[in-house]
Amino acid sequence: MKKLIRFTLNGSEVSAEVPSHKMLLEVLRETFELTGPKEGCGQGECGACTVLVDGLSVNSCLYPAFEVDGKEVTTVEGLIGEGNKLDPIQEAFVEHGGVQCGFCTPGMIMSAKALLEENPRPTEDEIKKGISGNLCRCTGYVQIVESIKKAAQKRGS
Amino acid sequence: MRRFDYYQPQSLSEAFNLMERLKGDAVYVAGGTDVIVKMKQGAISPKALISLRGIEELRGMESDGGIKLGSMVLFRELERDPHVGAKYYAMKEAASLLANPQIRNVATIGGNLCNAAPSADSAPPLIVLDAAFLLEGPGGSREIPVEEFFTGPGSTCLEDVEILREIRIPAPENKSGNAFVKLGRLKQDIAVVNAAAMVMMEGGVCKRCRVAVGAVAPTPLRLREIEQMVEGGSIDEELLGAVESKVKELVSPITDVRSTQEYRREVSGILVKRALKEALTRAQM
Ligand SMILES: Cc1cc2nc3c(=O)[nH]c(=O)nc-3n(C[C@H](O)[C@H](O)[C@H](O)COP(=O)(O)OP(=O)(O)OC[C@H]3O[C@@H](n4cnc5c(N)ncnc54)[C@H](O)[C@@H]3O)c2cc1C
Ligand code: FES
Ligand code: FES
Repeated sequence: MKKLIRFTLNGSEVSAEVPSHKMLLEVLRETFELTGPKEGCGQGECGACTVLVDGLSVNSCLYPAFEVDGKEVTTVEGLIGEGNKLDPIQEAFVEHGGVQCGFCTPGMIMSAKALLEENPRPTEDEIKKGISGNLCRCTGYVQIVESIKKAAQKRGS
Repeated sequence: MRRFDYYQPQSLSEAFNLMERLKGDAVYVAGGTDVIVKMKQGAISPKALISLRGIEELRGMESDGGIKLGSMVLFRELERDPHVGAKYYAMKEAASLLANPQIRNVATIGGNLCNAAPSADSAPPLIVLDAAFLLEGPGGSREIPVEEFFTGPGSTCLEDVEILREIRIPAPENKSGNAFVKLGRLKQDIAVVNAAAMVMMEGGVCKRCRVAVGAVAPTPLRLREIEQMVEGGSIDEELLGAVESKVKELVSPITDVRSTQEYRREVSGILVKRALKEALTRAQM
C-alpha cells in the first residue's frame, strides 16, 4: 500500500509517495536526505531519532510516515536560521562541550528545543526530565545539562 | 520489520468495518509505542494496522462531576490537565512517571490499558478510582468495571472487533485522597512494581479504602483483603506494618528481566504502605 503524503518539513511544503510500512525516520533520511535524525535502537528507547511533529517531540522511528500527512515536521536541520546561523541551543552545545561523538546530539537538541519552547526557564531537574528520553554514551550528561541551561539564558536575554 | 498495510479510518464504524474485513490479519494501533515496538522485535507481524488516530469520537476529556477520558487521550494531556492533577492525583502521577516526553507525546491511555501489561502504570490508579470502561463494537456498546477488563498478561475481555472507547472515573468523595507510587530501575522505567491507594477519612477513621498493585500478578491486582484491614480504623504505623506483611502474602510475582520474584514480593509491601501514607496525607489536605 502506498500514499502520497504532504507535510511541512523544516518550513517548506513537501510531498512524497511512501509505502505504508515506513516510519517517519526512514522517510526523512532516505527520501529527504536529512541525516540529522539517527537510528540508534529503532525501538523508542534512545531518542537519537527525535524530531518535532506539530511542535511536540516524538521518536520518529516509531512514528508511521502516513501519520505526518498535513502536519509540520522539524528536524535539527530546521533549527538553522538565515545566513547559516545556528540556533542558540546548537551554539550552546558547541560552546559548552555538549557534543562528543555527536550521535545523540540532534535528538538531544530537539528534546531541548521542545522543552524550552514550553518552559523557557527550566530548573536543572526539569532539564533532566526533559531529556530523559535521550541516551548519551559519551558525555555523562553534565555538559549537556549545562549547555541547555546556557541556551535558556541566551534565549531569554 | 515485515511490510504491512496502514489504514486510517475517520470514524468508529469505518474502523469496525475494516477490522471485520481484515479479521485475524490486522491490529488496531493508537500511539504505537507497544504495537510497533513488538513488530520491530518480531514478536507479532500483522499484515495490517488500523490506526485510531483519526477517530474524533475517541479524543478529548469531559468533566461531568467525574471525568470521561477518550481512549486516545495522551499521557501528555493527563500529565498537564489541572483538573486531573487536582482530583485524580494518582492518575496524574502515573502519567508523569510513564516513560519519557517523546513516548508521552504519542502514547495513549487506551493503548496502555489494551496492551494489558501486568505493569501498566494507568491500571492501579483506575482501579482505586473505581473507573469503568465503555467498550464499543459493531453491535453496540457495554460498560464494565475496570477489574473485569484484564484477563491475563496481554489479554483483555475485548471481543475481536471491539474498541475501548472511553474511561469513566466518578468524582472522588469529599475527605478522600488518592496516590500512585512506582519503583523502576530509573523512576520513569517500566515498573518493577507499582501501586495505588485511595482512602476516605472521617474523624480519623478510614471509611473507605481501595488498594491496587501492578507487576506482581498476571493482571493488575486489587487487594480487597488489605482494604478490609484498613477500613474502620485509624491508619497508623502499626496497621501499616501489618499491611506490609500481608501484601507480601497476597502477591504472586514472577522473575523476569526487570526483577526477581523475591524482590518484587518484598517491595510490593513497601510500595502499598507508601501509597496508603500518601493517600492519607492527601485526604487530610
Ligand atoms: C521506551 C518505552 C518506555 C515505556 N515505559 C512505560 C512505562 O513506564 N509504563 C508503562 O505503563 N508503559 C510503558 N511503555 C509501554 C507503552 O508506551 C504504553 O503501554 C503506552 O501507553 C501504549 O500506548 P499506545 O497508544 O502507544 O498503544 P499501542 O502500541 O498503539 O497499542 C497497544 C495495544 O492496545 C491496542 N489498542 C490501542 N488502543 C486501543 C483501543 N482504543 N481499543 C482497543 N484496542 C486498542 C492495540 O491494538 C495494541 O494491542 C513504554 C514503552 C516504551 C517504548
Ligand atoms: S532510534 Fe528511535 S528511539 Fe532509538
Ligand atoms: S555525544 Fe556521543 S552519544 Fe552523546
